[in-house]
Amino acid sequence: MKLTYLAAGLFAAAAVAGPVKADKLDDIIASGTLRCAVVLDFPPMGSRDENNNPVGFDVDYCNDLATALGVKAEIVETPFPERIPALMSGRVDVGVASTSDTLERAKTIGVTIPYYAFENSVTVNDKTDITTWEGMKGKTVGATAGTYEAIWLEGQVKEWGEGEFRPYQTQADVFLALSQGQLDATVSTTEVANANVKGGKFPGIKIVDKAPMVPDYVSLFTMRQEYGLINYMNLFINQQVRTGRYAELYKKWIGEGEPANLTVQGVYR
Amino acid sequence: MFNYTFQWNQALKYLPRMLEGALVTMEIALISMVIGIALAVLLTAFRLSGNRILKAIAQTWVEVARNTPALFQIYMAHFGIASFGIHLSPFISLLIGITFNNAGYLAENFRGALKAIPDTQTRAGRSLGMSAVQSFRSIILPQMLRISFLPMTNQMVWAILMTSLGVTVGMNTDLYGVTQDLNALTFRTFELFAIAAVIFYLITKAITIGARLIAARLFRY
Repeated sequence: MKLTYLAAGLFAAAAVAGPVKADKLDDIIASGTLRCAVVLDFPPMGSRDENNNPVGFDVDYCNDLATALGVKAEIVETPFPERIPALMSGRVDVGVASTSDTLERAKTIGVTIPYYAFENSVTVNDKTDITTWEGMKGKTVGATAGTYEAIWLEGQVKEWGEGEFRPYQTQADVFLALSQGQLDATVSTTEVANANVKGGKFPGIKIVDKAPMVPDYVSLFTMRQEYGLINYMNLFINQQVRTGRYAELYKKWIGEGEPANLTVQGVYR
Repeated sequence: MFNYTFQWNQALKYLPRMLEGALVTMEIALISMVIGIALAVLLTAFRLSGNRILKAIAQTWVEVARNTPALFQIYMAHFGIASFGIHLSPFISLLIGITFNNAGYLAENFRGALKAIPDTQTRAGRSLGMSAVQSFRSIILPQMLRISFLPMTNQMVWAILMTSLGVTVGMNTDLYGVTQDLNALTFRTFELFAIAAVIFYLITKAITIGARLIAARLFRY
């Protein structure tokens, strides 16, 4: 008799304790939906097609991750500055949002190994005489608020001690301002620069130089304490490269050429 | 579910920069109010004048300022004007946008205040030999400003809050712009914006209390 009570008690305790032990990875699998924060103002990584559907490299990565987990993907459009609020308030599970893995940010969020790396280019208004990145000294420059290149460029302007830096809220506003001549130059990822110069929506701009930054490694992110999910996503990124899916999506969204190397020589991870 | 550990010291070390931003915010709000009041008086005078063109200008201004979002007005002051080849800095664009909005709303406040002043006062002034302009300036205007003083305080508060829209035109020196810059750097979103909210609250509270004290002193009968 006593044993039955004990068993029942243990069972009850396990039932109560069970859901508490489940981590984010379990929650996602149980809910059947993976909600990704994706920036849809950042072609070719994320944008909308003619039918207003989300498309792009990041969108495909979210879909692949969901497929791997055996769940449905839900793309949650999240502008750059709202990625963290979206995660912390539980509106999204993970971020597939071209997020640079700075040490400062990693104090707040948990980042995976890099899943992509950007080179950055200097794009200028035709009417200026800027031909190299140093030519931006003393000019009015701008970039998309909250991005790695914006942080770099603002620091550079401070270091030069002349010129002006303006962060705009969206990539589209940056290129509009550049095309109008409100900005003399901008620094953006080469992918974005190419898409905008070729796109024809913003006349009178051209790419002149590469920005001398270390490659801008970007990571998937989730809550800092969700080791299970971070581990899973690390493996996912590894598998994407190993299976050739990384190269395939690079070709699909960015074009011909070699996708960036995601390893750093001479150090683990 | 809200899963976040607050680290206040990480955000509070940026407090001096945020307070500098608060100064810029107050500067913009103050300038936009001073110019806004002057413009609103002008618009009110336009409306009272018999001239049809002047009336139409005032009417259009008030209609656009009151019936479109402030965000749109500020955006147009930057990107809209630029398509005519006029390039304004974010500071000036924001200032123009808020001033435009202030002038529209204040003109409407003044109109309400005018309704509270009996017509007979103008007529009394005229029969004492004052010109139309004289009677407006010495009899109507002081009363109008007195009646609309507290609504003007509201607009001042609104102007402070509107500066946060400056980020859409590339402002990064005002309180909200500074906060967003720091957010991008550190991802300490909740701490930073909580601090910004408190600063905004303290500024606007100080304005409303200050205005009440001034009103009590100025408008004693």
